[in-house]
Amino acid sequence: MDGVHDLGGEEGYGPVQVDYVSEPFHKEWEGREWGIAQCARTPNMTIDWWRYCRELIMPEDYLSRPYLDSWAQTDFATYIEAGWISLEEIDHQVSLSSMDYSGDLLPATSVQDILLDERNHAVRYDAPIESDPVFSTGQSIITNKQGHSGHTRLPQYARGVCGVIHAYHGAYVFPDLSAQGRQIHQHLYSVVFASSNLWPEIYDSKDKVFLDLWESYLTAAS
Amino acid sequence: MTNYDANKVAQIHRQLHSRLPADPALRVRALESILVEKGLVNPQSVDAWVEVYQEHIGPKRGAHIVARAWTDSAYKTRLMTDAPAAIDELGYFGRATGHLKVVENTDAIHNLVVCTLCSCYPFSVLGIAPAWYKAAAYRSRAVRDPRGVLEEFGVEINLDVEIRVWDSTAELRYLVLPQRPAGSEAFDEAALANIVTRNSMIGTDRDLRLSAHGID
Repeated sequence: MDGVHDLGGEEGYGPVQVDYVSEPFHKEWEGREWGIAQCARTPNMTIDWWRYCRELIMPEDYLSRPYLDSWAQTDFATYIEAGWISLEEIDHQVSLSSMDYSGDLLPATSVQDILLDERNHAVRYDAPIESDPVFSTGQSIITNKQGHSGHTRLPQYARGVCGVIHAYHGAYVFPDLSAQGRQIHQHLYSVVFASSNLWPEIYDSKDKVFLDLWESYLTAAS
Repeated sequence: MTNYDANKVAQIHRQLHSRLPADPALRVRALESILVEKGLVNPQSVDAWVEVYQEHIGPKRGAHIVARAWTDSAYKTRLMTDAPAAIDELGYFGRATGHLKVVENTDAIHNLVVCTLCSCYPFSVLGIAPAWYKAAAYRSRAVRDPRGVLEEFGVEINLDVEIRVWDSTAELRYLVLPQRPAGSEAFDEAALANIVTRNSMIGTDRDLRLSAHGID
């Protein structure tokens, strides 16, 4: 979707507010939200659906609210959409209905258990598929000129431009369909773009931008 | 059951805008208390997750990986060809690093990592992302004006050095391998890890100093 989340190359957001704060969480609620996101029993959904729901946050909220606050908002939205939480419960800030899970609280996890279990959280999104990749390393491609109104990982700044296949990664879950609940693997490539091909003000630079792009985002350049 | 109904979610967000408290602390407290009451979250587990990412998982892990790569050329080769397996040797394989790639700085190349579409970050080797990494200013400008962004971090890149910006648009995550500074020949692995900054592994720092600074 062509929303405010698609920030690459947008202008007007000012200089980077560089800080060298070492604490991972600046406020207590940030840590709570991080922890909830890691250990909550969530509706059966894909990571791409969750990302899409974050993109659907009202633009004024998306751009003005703190980052982990937008995670909380996305969690609320996905739980409500799945029917696990109601808006009435949000008004009262209590659970008004019991669920199948009620009284069946997940066992507490200790720091030690989490550290031991951490490697099991390394989700893999690739899998072999029958078709061969269409493009080969070094080949010139052009990216799709248009996106679509659903979730996609082809940012606006990289649409309708020429690039070169830098590497082939394998077949990965295609996010545009995964955001609709369909897990289909598609060939994924690292594609390199000359910065001078992307931005009007850059013409004498050899700088480059690399994106990981799925096969259906690309066509062979003639 | 998730229905994947985007129009409904757009409406829900508008409802939440007016029905949730404005203060993020109250919003998150409401989320936690409802989920706990429903048995979907255990508050002790939340406590533990906070402690893990406050005390145990952070950029010191990335610095250890970098120091190992500097001192062990066979390890560096494994890291550059199969980063998930190489970080697993150190016990750091985990959240968001199932498809990790390491990109190496040289005299001629400087690498910079961003996620323009959300804020993807290699959690299990760098911990929680800094605030600026998740902010609109960095996400919008890193791909368009990387040299300007780097200047704001006090980093000047010569024009003959090629900047490679990696936009994390898929499930791959990127870790920059900074250059080992001259004068560090006598340092052991632990001393080397102490001079690696978090920002140098994202690419917003380049020339590392020899004095240990405590990871930022």
